[in-house]
Amino acid sequence: MIKNITIALVLVVNSFVFSQRPTPAAEQKNEVVIKNAILHVGNGKIIENAFVVFDKGIIKEIGTQFNQATVSASTNIIDASGKHVYPGIIATNNSLGLTEIEAVRATNDLYEVGSINPNANSSIAFFTDSKVIPTVRSNGILVVQSTPRGGFISGASSILNLDAWNYEDALIKSADGIHVNWPDIDSPNFNSDDKDAKEKSEKGNSYVKRINSLIDLLLKAKNYSGTQEKDLKLEALKGLFDGSKKLYVHAQRYNQIYDAISMCKKLEIVSPVIVGGAESKKAISILKKFNVPVMLQRAHSLPPNADADIDYFYKLPALLQKEGILFCLQYEGDMEAMGLRNLPFLAGTAMAYGLEPEQALCAITINAAKIIGIDKKYGSIEVGKSATLFISTGNALDMMTNNVEQAFIDGRTIDLNNHQKELYHRYSQKYGIKH
Amino acid sequence: MHKYSIFLGRCSNLYIFGNYYFMKKIIFLVVFIVFATKAFTQSVFPANGIKKVDNDVFVFKNANINIDENTVLSNAILIVSKGKIIDVGSGISIPKNSIVYDLKGKNIYPSFIDMYSNYGVVVEKENSTFYGGPQYETKQKGAYYWNEAIKPEQDAARLFSSNASQAEEIRNIGFGAVNTFVKDGIARGTSAIVTLSDQKENYTLINSKVATMFSFNKGSSRQEYPSSLMGAIALLRQTYLDAEWFEKSKENQENSLSLYAFNQQKKLPSIFEANDKWNIVRADKIGDEFGVQYIFKTNGNEYQRIEEIKSCNGKLIVPVNYPQTPDVENPAEADLLELDDLKHWEMAPYNLSILEKNNLQFAITASDLKSKSEFLINLRKAIDMGLSKKMALKALTTNPAQMLNVSDKLGAIKKGYIANFIISSGDIFEKNSYVIQNWVNGIPYGKNNLEQFDFRGNYTLVNSSSLKKVELKIEGEINKLATTIKVDTLTRKSSATLGSYNVSSTYLNCGGLNSVTVYEIKNDKEEFFGKLYFDDGKEEEVFWKKNAEYISEKKDSALNAIASISITYPNMAYGFGELPKEEKVVFSNVTAWTNEEEGVLKNVSVLVDKGKIAAIGEKISIPADAKIINGTGLHLTSGIIDEHSHIAISSGVNEGSNTATAEVRIGDVINSDDINIYRQLSGGVIAAQLLHGSANAIGGQSALIKLRWGLSPEKMKIAGADGFIKFALGENVKQSNWGDRYSIRYPQSRMGVEQVYVEYFSRAREYQQQKKNATTNTNFRRDLLMESLVEILEKKRFITCHSYQQGEINMLMHVADSFGFRVNTFTHILEGYKVADKMKKHGVGASTFSDWWAYKFEVNDAIPYNAALLYRMGIVTAINSDDPEMGRRLNQEAAKVFKYGGVSEIEAWKMVTLNPAKLLHLDKITGSIKVGKDADLVLWSQNPLSVMAKVETTMIDGRIYYDAKSDVLQRENIRVERQRILNLMIKAKRGGDKTEKPKAKNKRLYHCDDLSNDTYLDELY
Repeated sequence: MIKNITIALVLVVNSFVFSQRPTPAAEQKNEVVIKNAILHVGNGKIIENAFVVFDKGIIKEIGTQFNQATVSASTNIIDASGKHVYPGIIATNNSLGLTEIEAVRATNDLYEVGSINPNANSSIAFFTDSKVIPTVRSNGILVVQSTPRGGFISGASSILNLDAWNYEDALIKSADGIHVNWPDIDSPNFNSDDKDAKEKSEKGNSYVKRINSLIDLLLKAKNYSGTQEKDLKLEALKGLFDGSKKLYVHAQRYNQIYDAISMCKKLEIVSPVIVGGAESKKAISILKKFNVPVMLQRAHSLPPNADADIDYFYKLPALLQKEGILFCLQYEGDMEAMGLRNLPFLAGTAMAYGLEPEQALCAITINAAKIIGIDKKYGSIEVGKSATLFISTGNALDMMTNNVEQAFIDGRTIDLNNHQKELYHRYSQKYGIKH
Repeated sequence: MHKYSIFLGRCSNLYIFGNYYFMKKIIFLVVFIVFATKAFTQSVFPANGIKKVDNDVFVFKNANINIDENTVLSNAILIVSKGKIIDVGSGISIPKNSIVYDLKGKNIYPSFIDMYSNYGVVVEKENSTFYGGPQYETKQKGAYYWNEAIKPEQDAARLFSSNASQAEEIRNIGFGAVNTFVKDGIARGTSAIVTLSDQKENYTLINSKVATMFSFNKGSSRQEYPSSLMGAIALLRQTYLDAEWFEKSKENQENSLSLYAFNQQKKLPSIFEANDKWNIVRADKIGDEFGVQYIFKTNGNEYQRIEEIKSCNGKLIVPVNYPQTPDVENPAEADLLELDDLKHWEMAPYNLSILEKNNLQFAITASDLKSKSEFLINLRKAIDMGLSKKMALKALTTNPAQMLNVSDKLGAIKKGYIANFIISSGDIFEKNSYVIQNWVNGIPYGKNNLEQFDFRGNYTLVNSSSLKKVELKIEGEINKLATTIKVDTLTRKSSATLGSYNVSSTYLNCGGLNSVTVYEIKNDKEEFFGKLYFDDGKEEEVFWKKNAEYISEKKDSALNAIASISITYPNMAYGFGELPKEEKVVFSNVTAWTNEEEGVLKNVSVLVDKGKIAAIGEKISIPADAKIINGTGLHLTSGIIDEHSHIAISSGVNEGSNTATAEVRIGDVINSDDINIYRQLSGGVIAAQLLHGSANAIGGQSALIKLRWGLSPEKMKIAGADGFIKFALGENVKQSNWGDRYSIRYPQSRMGVEQVYVEYFSRAREYQQQKKNATTNTNFRRDLLMESLVEILEKKRFITCHSYQQGEINMLMHVADSFGFRVNTFTHILEGYKVADKMKKHGVGASTFSDWWAYKFEVNDAIPYNAALLYRMGIVTAINSDDPEMGRRLNQEAAKVFKYGGVSEIEAWKMVTLNPAKLLHLDKITGSIKVGKDADLVLWSQNPLSVMAKVETTMIDGRIYYDAKSDVLQRENIRVERQRILNLMIKAKRGGDKTEKPKAKNKRLYHCDDLSNDTYLDELY
């Protein structure tokens, strides 16, 4: 018994020395003012020498002439002279929290059995204690749409903040939408997801057949009253028709986009979203006509084929911007969870290839919030919205200057330490390296 | 049936004792036999009952006889008996009692010879579904080679049995004999020449052990090794060495029927199934190493690199299987095709004519055609595109006969030759003529009657009691007719039925008329006898008057519209029409990141001359003939070098079979046609180490290349560069993530990994000693794996080791220390920061990722500060890609070292330029802007570490391989060129071409733990 206690004590002490992840921040107690900042509102505007006041997690005031006398003694005043303040970056369509180490099966909660899983809700599996999350947060990403993968209907994504004791505390929106992998005529370069490809070949179903089976299912869901025998899948799909859930259609080719939107319009699905959209520039008119937004294929992707422009995905955001399509940038693909911390640099690349700097920021903040339906609270720094924002010493969209000093989620001051920084400090000490 | 015996009978005897020592005696025997056949025939086969005697003499007169490609005799006579040609010529006397055919207007050719066939030796493969564990050792019973893909003991003659339906299929398109072999394995054993008659094998087998056959495909072997193209190449090399050793071996420590057979076949023609332009070059290189000149079986894309093919000096066996016309009328589906597909579709029919123009010697094969009936159609297409008819005939007769050493009996119509000849309705290489009969071993084959009357033409009815005006049109092929009848104003069409001496057609609803018949026989008025049949059962005898002879319509192929041949280097999107030239260039007024002591220099000019950096400075003298690139506001750096890359590799990046594969070489399988080369140029990359994968503890040798887009694989290699080799540690080597099937290969733990190194380097030491002690008299077995390891011991080859966890990093340094060498580079090295002090002490460099982690268990402690810590500990540190996408953004990755850990911009930049150059021992020639170094320069729109930076120009050796402005033009060219060819495809479809649905290529991009080699088979077959 004594031995056990000793072990327990040792463990406790150790956890002080090196914690696997930082402790979630407490509720905001005191009012916070950030002053003298270069404020990137997130709606396309930039305010020089700005101040932001937030309390109880909500932004109360924004202005340019900060008057010290107006605040109480308990107010925490942060001087951000020469620094940039950004709305928390929103990562849509990502498996963060659902996978820890891709090669270790036990750590993957991405795929469910069978190909039709609209009732599977990602928030349940969302691992708030993930070691990956703090590393992502450190670059300014504060909200994620945690998204399951695989199958024909992968499941429902949920929107969560990246600092919480448990998934309930983290939840911003549960089951915000259903993800469908739209069938393809023939596209080995896109949809590199192996499981999906495997399933496709196992079913051996043609493009049209598979779409017809989807239409059948959705029609049943539309007419499902709930008074019949309970059907979990149809019940989960019901929300597509009253607007409470979005339909995220993962599709790359323009003919897929046309077919997907046509189906949604015919079945009266309220809020379709195209995910991927590699060829969205060939489907501008239908996207525009029905106001269908796009979550664009990772900008750091190889062109779709050898003939394509070598900067195909780099310049696609600017093309959509020019056409007035609502889009956001996201990081689906290889190593999408651990690499998610590079999301701001996708916006940076898009900026190098034609997006205005503030438009590039919108592509990972307010646009994302609008597309996933949380823009009333998140995505920009405006009065009445959640104080989910961060301070960077330089331009956060450029890897050279992205340096997040402080971050707030719903007004809470986030601990920006992480497993990797800990190791860095530990070994710097070992070698006597100062920095 | 047994028409002639001794000649072939003798041959089969030869075969039974078969081995090539007897071949020389054939000539003597042939001479003997020629005299003997005149007297009588003999056979070992007893007759059941009355012996069937064959005394028939066939005479063909008035024919145009093509003796060979050079000589045509018009109105000549051919005499054939007992399966052989008795005589041929003009004005020779016709023997009494012979059967005479009048072939007026018809042509005779020697029957074709297909050098590449598996006729009659198709071995049924076992079921391909396979669930057992991996097989590392041979399961072949008997005293054979250690690897199942090496089967030189395979003897096609022994396995050969006639196959009537197969024979008929190729006889119908004009072939009379084939060189047949078993299409299985890398060394495939010997082939046999057989004729295509339906006789017993004793009479169709002409020669056994004709040629020895090779390929890069391991075929039905289930052994893991080789799992890649480079493995196949290495295995073949080692086989040659082993065979040499075996031949000289007096003690016979081990016996091998395979190596015995291999040595027996040395003097035979060697035929290599390369099936791709670069594979021809690859195979030729092996041949050069062992003094063998292969004959190459190609796949028809030689035209894309004709100079390189010419320099191989090999004869070719070329198929005529052009890509089927894709149906591109649906633009969404047309998008699936890439420009190289489109270009190849257009150019494939030109291949043969380009080979002819370049004086290459070749034979034509029908082997790759799915539908053999397309053979003549495709061959004629090649003739339309410029192949001469003379060369076409030569490539189907004389050339194969010579290559197979049977030009004394096959391939021409000469006295004493085997009676293999085609009778065609006209010029066989012209449309609308066809093979009437194909005589093989003096036996006629073919559905068509030699004396088939040509009914085609327009007729009118001369007399009828019930009908007034009837017109009949007969058209189509002479043996496949169609008719159109016009009764007053009524027109009906129908197919026709050929009778012995008549043709008939039946119509529906033809005004009471049911059927008509036209007879070959005519009345005095030159009118044809005929018959009418009516719906009411009545019939009537009539006469037909022929008004006009049949004139064939010529259909224009869409391809004929092509004005000029266009080949780019490589022959795909972004290929060069003309390769970049060495230029005298000044980058004026740039910000130069020198990577030298001067650091970053502002407002300087850099002169490039003769491929080198000639001057740097604020005021340098600018030669009058120099091209000036205004660099105001731009940044000039030395080019990026990717220490860890897997682009530009063909058919497998891992020889992931055996634990140690130091004998395989990435340098053997460089793929200069990989679009990622161009894409990386656009990201400022000028050089890369193409590494073997990490599937085994001792991997393969790497290749150092400069990204000289448009040049051949050999010309991409950096001349004089040191040799490097890939080692690997950890999960990949232990097969941790390979699935449950893979759990038997040693090692499965890190303990075993260490022992693998100790074991192999101990062996290498012994080998080194043995080799030293060997005298000229010693029969020393060269072992390519060991030679590679000895090079490491002798500090002539340097290790780049894939590594993650600190423990094993430490371990390998200890192993190296104990064997007296130094590990050159740890790559990945994500836990390097944990043992940086030990690494410093050992003197090893590091090439790492900027921020990768968490993709497997062993990278759980990887940190993005690794590079900074290693750098601060004084270790030469580089940032690499291991990823074709990231490879074009290495400048951004370098910037992350600035972000994570605060390394200065200049030092961060060196991590993708000078430092990798140091790790690859290239820093004397490249890696910085210094007078005298190679002009490997990149001009950036701004600070290259910024996310905003774009490449304006990438220069290698003073040649501009990428230029942002030219790139814009290229994009436009691609669009225009695509549409031009797509339009041709649509035209071809409208013109009657059979089409298929467009299919996208399944391309693979390699990471270092990529085990799959599915393109291996795809590309080869």
